[in-house]
Amino acid sequence: MMPLQSVYMIRLSLAWLLLSTLVGAVLLVHKAYGIHPSAWLLLPLHFEMAIWGWMVQLVIGTAYWMFPRFLRIDIRGPELPAWIMVFLFNSGLFLILSGHMVKSASGLILSGRILLLTGIGIFIYLIWSRVISYRNL
Amino acid sequence: MPKISRLFIKSGIIYFFLGMILAFVAEMPFVNTGALLLPVYWHMIVVGWVTQIIMGVSIWMFPRIGKERKKTETTPAYLAFWLLNSGLILRFTIEPFIPLFSANKAVSAVVLISALLHISAIISYITEIWPRVRTRPIKVRRSE
Repeated sequence: MMPLQSVYMIRLSLAWLLLSTLVGAVLLVHKAYGIHPSAWLLLPLHFEMAIWGWMVQLVIGTAYWMFPRFLRIDIRGPELPAWIMVFLFNSGLFLILSGHMVKSASGLILSGRILLLTGIGIFIYLIWSRVISYRNL
Repeated sequence: MPKISRLFIKSGIIYFFLGMILAFVAEMPFVNTGALLLPVYWHMIVVGWVTQIIMGVSIWMFPRIGKERKKTETTPAYLAFWLLNSGLILRFTIEPFIPLFSANKAVSAVVLISALLHISAIISYITEIWPRVRTRPIKVRRSE
């Protein structure tokens, strides 16, 4: 059964995929029609949403769901850190995107990167002991 | 593995190969295209390869609902494949030439169509996969 944290991460990754595609489509059309000179400011948003929001988040959500589970009640480890991971990852990405849009607000991108990195650190903590085989127990 | 997943994965492998060749060609000293090929091979790798492999594998592996328990293909999955690949082919054919034909309305129209195909493909894929991302399978009773 897919855990709720994975449901959130995979669905959020689909939402980021759609947003990234929309932004990418605007950039592609801008190349041909020259919509507005500032359209290129959207380019880093397109990258960040595609790589972190879509690909990395989908991989984390799927790994948290599919990797071998523990032989105890909390089959995927403690739930609270997993929820914190979902929150930090997406709020970090949101801050990074805001930092790209509001150039005057310095520190937003750095804060976002710190949150994103903390989220990934929690993922490593949760998944490390699940990289295991029970075959020879 | 359902047919639609095989289509996604095989076309993903082809784009991976083409993307690597194009990246190699763009680095050759006698090829002086500047940054024209950069978005083409990046999108071949990130969308053509990685995204299509993810789509193919998720359509194959993610839990199915109700009557779809048998690994059959669905219309949104097929739409996603054909819309995405036609959008990508149009894009890769036309994108390097946009600066040369920027005043040409037909070229601009093809770019616009390609962008719309990309968006439609992603919406079709999300339509297929969104209901399958859930915590507990929905049990459907067979009618006697």
